[in-house]
Amino acid sequence: MLNNEELQRYTRQIMVREIGEAGQEKLKKARVLIAGVGGLGSPIAYYLAAAGVGKIRIVDNDKVELTNLNRQIAHWTQDIGRLKVESAASKLSQLNDTIAIEPLVETISESSISQLTADIDVILDATDNLATRFLLNKSAMDLDIPFIHGAVAGFEGRLTTIIPGKTPCLGCIYHGDIPKQKTPVIGVTPAVIGALEATEAIKYIVGAGQLLTNQLLVYDGLRMRFTILGIKKDPNCRFCATHPEK
Amino acid sequence: MSVKFIMPVFLQPVAEEKEFVEVEGNTVGECLAAIIKKYPAMKKMLMDGKGKLHNYVGVYVNGQDAYPNEMQKAVKTGDEVHILYTLAGG
Repeated sequence: MLNNEELQRYTRQIMVREIGEAGQEKLKKARVLIAGVGGLGSPIAYYLAAAGVGKIRIVDNDKVELTNLNRQIAHWTQDIGRLKVESAASKLSQLNDTIAIEPLVETISESSISQLTADIDVILDATDNLATRFLLNKSAMDLDIPFIHGAVAGFEGRLTTIIPGKTPCLGCIYHGDIPKQKTPVIGVTPAVIGALEATEAIKYIVGAGQLLTNQLLVYDGLRMRFTILGIKKDPNCRFCATHPEK
Repeated sequence: MSVKFIMPVFLQPVAEEKEFVEVEGNTVGECLAAIIKKYPAMKKMLMDGKGKLHNYVGVYVNGQDAYPNEMQKAVKTGDEVHILYTLAGG
């Protein structure tokens, strides 16, 4: 049940036909993992917190640096040197003190992944390298939960929603790793893609609309193009080829 | 008439800042060879020394993923081919 404060706080979105009180209660019960609280993770976390997602687990092992501040809007100048999860958790708690924020200082690795994704309904990709994304993708397969993928560089972005057993997974789209590198990026790009990832998560949780499944959104901010491309399962995919179909 | 290749932002600087390039060819590989002939700097950005596409380059013909054997994929006049780079930033 939603209390009076929650009914008031979320009035405008409860008025949205596809959400209503029932959808708001689903959001309240939802548990999400945001993997990384940098450029993508900041807007994802803000919007899911504002929307009233009941439990938000944020994972990152980095500290805030001056060079982060052009895009990682959960962190402010005063936060330089602070752990990113603590910095973000303090902002999110001030934005919405009725939800649970779980900050975890952890490297996402093969040994930590099962602990990080335990008791989670949806995984949101906000990492800065493909190797970690593949770990999250595999964990989503193992747990049979959605994995919302986003990535950015410069003015460009990508987005897709992966439903294990139903859609292509990350391994079907990307066929090899790429070296970890410092990616050039303007802050508005992760803002766009992060907001779209949060949109997908909210839609999944409340059961509204159509998810961006079996499709890859290609965003080009320089020419302001949103292109949808079809993706397909790779029968030899190292992650999902043996996953049972739904 | 020709096949239209939509270039990723990363390749546009070596393609005279063009968003797309139109070339003749019966397969993706033939068309890419024509593009590389016009813009030689693009070769290393697309493929290795043996002419195999880098694993971070994706090819989509008429909006559909052409993997695997993208280079052999048949194309015809009026087709659109998107070349994509894998992005890793977050």
